[in-house]
Amino acid sequence: MSEQGSAETAATVFDPYVLSEMHMDALREVGNIGAGTAASSLSTMTGQPVAMAVPRASLVPIEDVPNMIGAAEDVIAATYMGVVGNAPGHIMFVMPLDVAHSVCDLLLSGLPVGEPGPSGFCDMQLSALQEVGNILTGSYLRALADLTGLHLEPTPPALGVDMVAALLGAVMSEVSRTTELALMIETAFGDDASASVGQFIYVPEPGSVGTVLRGLGMHA
Amino acid sequence: MTTNVATGAHTAIRASSIKVGLGQLAVSRDPADVLSALGLGSCIGLVITDTSAGVAGMVHVMLPDSDIATRPGPEGKYADTAVPSLIDAVCALGAHRSRLICAMAGGAQMFGAGSGAGLLNIGQRNAVAVRVALEAAGLRLRAAQTGGNSGRTLEVTVATGVITVRTVGGTPAPL
Repeated sequence: MSEQGSAETAATVFDPYVLSEMHMDALREVGNIGAGTAASSLSTMTGQPVAMAVPRASLVPIEDVPNMIGAAEDVIAATYMGVVGNAPGHIMFVMPLDVAHSVCDLLLSGLPVGEPGPSGFCDMQLSALQEVGNILTGSYLRALADLTGLHLEPTPPALGVDMVAALLGAVMSEVSRTTELALMIETAFGDDASASVGQFIYVPEPGSVGTVLRGLGMHA
Repeated sequence: MTTNVATGAHTAIRASSIKVGLGQLAVSRDPADVLSALGLGSCIGLVITDTSAGVAGMVHVMLPDSDIATRPGPEGKYADTAVPSLIDAVCALGAHRSRLICAMAGGAQMFGAGSGAGLLNIGQRNAVAVRVALEAAGLRLRAAQTGGNSGRTLEVTVATGVITVRTVGGTPAPL
């Protein structure tokens, strides 16, 4: 209705659902630089090298997104950060449960561990995971802003430790306010083509896709 | 018989667990069926049964209000339209309006437990919207488990109308 109207009045409006291979390449590069910067941060924090897989960019129906990250009831630790400013969007960093425990062990080695809560982590471990999530999503966002020259601000990052479907479903509900299709830019940490250590998921809002591409110097 | 209303798919396979994903709606009168919504976070799973008719239905609501929709979404996406659709769907399978039993779960705040209102806190609004839509239809909830900070898996066994909820590390408890 209103959508058709606006498309008629502005015939040259960029359609975020019609992306060329060059556009997709550019978006994969966003995933590459963003996650690459975050990988350096993680490597510095843990004192261990962090390998990174080739980023993927894909248009996915909202309801299929949780299945792409894992089995619905698998437990993960996920940090969510909203992006506001010139190009609103959503950034998540997702860790499998065993990796989250390893990260806690590495960062809190020698410190006494408290009674685990319902999530399986004590308060101090949750704080450590929250901090890791803050730093990694923050690194990703700064790299994205530098790369595109856009003014991008984070909302305060927030941690959740629960089922894949519950965490991804909550974020996808937010995304689904404006679209039925999510443009997902995924970058896995760990071996190539596997998300064995963790995974970045960047979802620009539909209205932001053209802005990001233009920020990268593309015609969009 | 299993009729997945969301997709219009029609199948005669027995003893199946039917997954009701984001924004989907499913109804069944096959006693072998179990309808489940795995890992409800801020979303609401609403179950409506008529045990006398052996009919059960479930919808997986993502957002409170279809007013914001710019294009038609999945049938179960918005509370205000999903609830009447589910009522119609179970009645179309032979359920009687006067015998309908309703229960819901979900509506949690999944991120930033204790970090205050606002952040992705759509769960609470979803729960309110489902209640309002049920009231508008003249139906009452028999049971609800909403809010908090935990994801929930909701299941209904068509043969018995038994509804269960479980959280991470927990066992299924009757709702």
